[in-house]
Amino acid sequence: MSTFQFLLEGLAAAMLPMNLLYALVGVTLGTMVGVLPGIGPATTVALLLPVTYQLDATGSLIMFAGIYYGGMYGGSTTSILLNTPGESASIVTALEGNKMARAGRGGPALATAAIGSFVAGLIATLALAFVAPFIVKIALVFGPREYFALMVLAFITVSSAFGDSTLRGLTSLFIGLALSLVGIDQLTGQNRLSFGVPDLLDGIEVTTMAVAMFAIGETLYIAAQGATAPDKIEAVKGSVWMTGQDWARSWKAWLRGTLIGFPIGAMPAGGAEIGTFLSYATEKKLSKHPEEFGKGAIEGVAGPEAANNASAAGTLVPLLTLGLPTSATAAIMLAGFQQYGLQPGPLLFATNPQLVWGLIASLLIANLMLLVLNLPLVGLWVRLLTIPKPWLYAGILLFATLGTIGANPSVFELGMLLLFGLIAYGMRVFGYPIAPVIVGLILGPLAEQQLRRALAISQGDVTVLFTSPIAAGLLIVAALALIVPLILRARGRGDVLNQMAASED
Amino acid sequence: MKHFILASILAGAMALPAYAADYSIMAPAAPGGGWDQTARSLQTALQKEKISNRVQVMNVPGAGGTIGIAQFASQQKGNPNALMVGGYVMVGAILTNKSPVTLKDVTPIARLTGEYEAIVVPASSEIKTIGDLVAKLKENPGAVSWGGGSAGGTDHIATGLIAKAAGVDPTKINYIAFSGGGEALAAILGSQVTAGISSFGEFESQIKAGSLRLLAVSSEQRIQGVDAPTLKESKLDVVIQNWRMVAAAPGISAEQKAAILADFEKLEKSATWQETMKTKGWADTYLAGPAFEEQLAKDIASTETILKDIGLVK
Amino acid sequence: MSLDKTPSTSMQRRPDWAALVIAAILLVLAGVILFDVSRLRDLGGYSQVGPATVPGWIAYGLIGLAIWTVVAAFRGDFPVREKQEVKPVVWIVAGLAAQMLLIRPLGFSIATGILFGLTAAGFGARRLWISIPIAIVICLAIWWVFSVVLSLSLPAGPLENLLQ
Repeated sequence: MSTFQFLLEGLAAAMLPMNLLYALVGVTLGTMVGVLPGIGPATTVALLLPVTYQLDATGSLIMFAGIYYGGMYGGSTTSILLNTPGESASIVTALEGNKMARAGRGGPALATAAIGSFVAGLIATLALAFVAPFIVKIALVFGPREYFALMVLAFITVSSAFGDSTLRGLTSLFIGLALSLVGIDQLTGQNRLSFGVPDLLDGIEVTTMAVAMFAIGETLYIAAQGATAPDKIEAVKGSVWMTGQDWARSWKAWLRGTLIGFPIGAMPAGGAEIGTFLSYATEKKLSKHPEEFGKGAIEGVAGPEAANNASAAGTLVPLLTLGLPTSATAAIMLAGFQQYGLQPGPLLFATNPQLVWGLIASLLIANLMLLVLNLPLVGLWVRLLTIPKPWLYAGILLFATLGTIGANPSVFELGMLLLFGLIAYGMRVFGYPIAPVIVGLILGPLAEQQLRRALAISQGDVTVLFTSPIAAGLLIVAALALIVPLILRARGRGDVLNQMAASED
Repeated sequence: MKHFILASILAGAMALPAYAADYSIMAPAAPGGGWDQTARSLQTALQKEKISNRVQVMNVPGAGGTIGIAQFASQQKGNPNALMVGGYVMVGAILTNKSPVTLKDVTPIARLTGEYEAIVVPASSEIKTIGDLVAKLKENPGAVSWGGGSAGGTDHIATGLIAKAAGVDPTKINYIAFSGGGEALAAILGSQVTAGISSFGEFESQIKAGSLRLLAVSSEQRIQGVDAPTLKESKLDVVIQNWRMVAAAPGISAEQKAAILADFEKLEKSATWQETMKTKGWADTYLAGPAFEEQLAKDIASTETILKDIGLVK
Repeated sequence: MSLDKTPSTSMQRRPDWAALVIAAILLVLAGVILFDVSRLRDLGGYSQVGPATVPGWIAYGLIGLAIWTVVAAFRGDFPVREKQEVKPVVWIVAGLAAQMLLIRPLGFSIATGILFGLTAAGFGARRLWISIPIAIVICLAIWWVFSVVLSLSLPAGPLENLLQ
């Protein structure tokens, strides 16, 4: 049978009413657990996996796909509405999404996230089906030096998220970098900045940090404006649905996000966050409304959300074609697949086509179910923001700490939440942006490790960093991203001077 | 809404039978990892085989299990219902993290499963046998980069042991630690490193597909159905397995310990547990009682020596 | 945070004291990093960038930023701060601290219920004798769902033990 026939057969099986119901149940459960901050898709899948064991092979695979996509999507809802990113890949969504929600545009933000996730999921799943073996070959070319170049590029492009003051943006970034040093050094096993505290040996959890910095810092800041301050949240202003202009601004961002997210997800050490960072930076560069960024630009939600979901499908490329679990979520999925008798690896597509195509069909159905479940709920979700302030913020803190407690019920972790919440509050008061801290915390260790790996493999020869064509290409793009704006600015000034000279004539 | 919640609490309270939890198993890792999977599989199997009425799993993640073991030893002292899952990684983590609580502070019950290490090279590599690799290592240790899991973990320890057995200074090995098995495997497949070392299961499907060449395995005897020599028969005296075990609380009586041991003897023989190990791909390396305690002491001693040799522990 | 007590209006041509405090904090952070990594051993030394190298770069970056901050403080480049009310912040911090300290002895529901009540109080809903009990009941329901549906045991206390 050909590829296509297998897929059609899988789709036909998945379309049976009972299986559609399983998909819906899976998506609902996944979304419900996935919305908890601190409980990312990996934990969601791990916790809900046993539920699927009750069903037959097809049914459980479909429910599993639903849980996976539901868990992936769940994080964005809370990012947008409550400014509490559920997992590291939806941190960027909080940047613009929550600003939109506060301006009464939560509806369009949620809708563009849902539709963007659907579009990206659809394209990426199809790409997984048809070009996976090709993509994975490219991904394997990436070694430590190529990843290092990619991190350099990410650092430079993401600096557009740093706000208006260079000094304060850089300070935030360096605070994040400093915090990223905490814990066991991956390459030598020695602990750094842990001061003999065992709880610090694993470093600072990104999700704990994100919840503290966004949710708790924000709550404290708003509380400190006093009860007298006017309520700045407007639940709904204008339409709950996306306007024509929203569509026009979103669709390109969805496609670009998919294009960025999928290959990066397919890279064994890419990571979903990197895709969202790069997508955000790209949208900001290309937008016709760059002034809206930081105040609630819809592209800033559409692009990263699409990138996030595309990269989730991207992770399946090395997983299915090589048996490579490249993220915590993928490792759990591998465990799940084994339960269904699916042994991922280079021979999987040849030896077990029915199951593979069944899985891909399940993913497509789950993706559709996600849209079916979430679009009608948008109106309901937005009403959350009409809850009176005391109960809304008390609920946010309950919810934020619940996620942390669920992932790791430790007093120490709660102490970190409080401490970083206070620091974030202080940073807000003095006008320091929050996002660069998280960027530094995520990218810092990746860049450092890849640099050191590259140099260890070359036994200290620095030239290897530039001699691979891919690494060199990425570094050139990074250099251009740094220099071109400076040139343009200089030339812009020149234009102004010319105009002034011309007007004097 | 409030009515609904109250109603569901009442319904839940009535639906639950009134017996106490028989065992509570601590997984010293986050949900989803190997230890968590072991704990949750034990939970299912113990309940299904009616060895225990109700089993609870608790996750205490952090620092290679050392946070979990510290909490377990202090809070569960003398509790005959408390169990903890652990493994070889913990032996190394306790040493490198200078953990004040060690495996001596709990009551080891049984080794349940284990995985042997495999040494591989990309299929395109000029290295054909483990002998070739050792020769290259002796010639210039820096030129042989080893891709494996985190520093101080089983893969790193095994690499150090191999170098030592080959007569090469273990501090001179060029070990490249990757953050996970997947990332290391990608680097090996992409020929970014000279050789790869990890659990056999991580490489199995690649070896079958012919994209990796298996040079040797770290088991005592050849693994059935696997066409590769052991390190031992290649004149490298290294036998190492990444095992998982179950331990009970410190300070329990001899009868209590015997009761737990009996429960696990029953579990080991049960069809459910055997089936679980098969579907999960875990090798059955069950070892219990005094034999396990002796082996554990040996493992700890040899690990300490090699970590000192590599320089990870002073 | 002590930083918030500094007057929010900065007078002209006088250094911004809060900014100087921030610069000092950055310097201390850099110092801590440099001190801590000085004891690391360079294991495996095939890469000249060892475990202490990158922390060093970050520390020097922080020192540079501290100097820049001092310059900015003297030039009055810092934004004007909005007036902060301390009381609500104290309520919420007390709630978080209470949750942290009580979660082990009293369990998830009571500790988190108190967090809920105190946070709501920080935002003006001061009737704690109503908000805390309701919140505890809700948290108990959450605890039950986690324990039964997800078999994830959140910390249990006297109330949770009644349900077990």
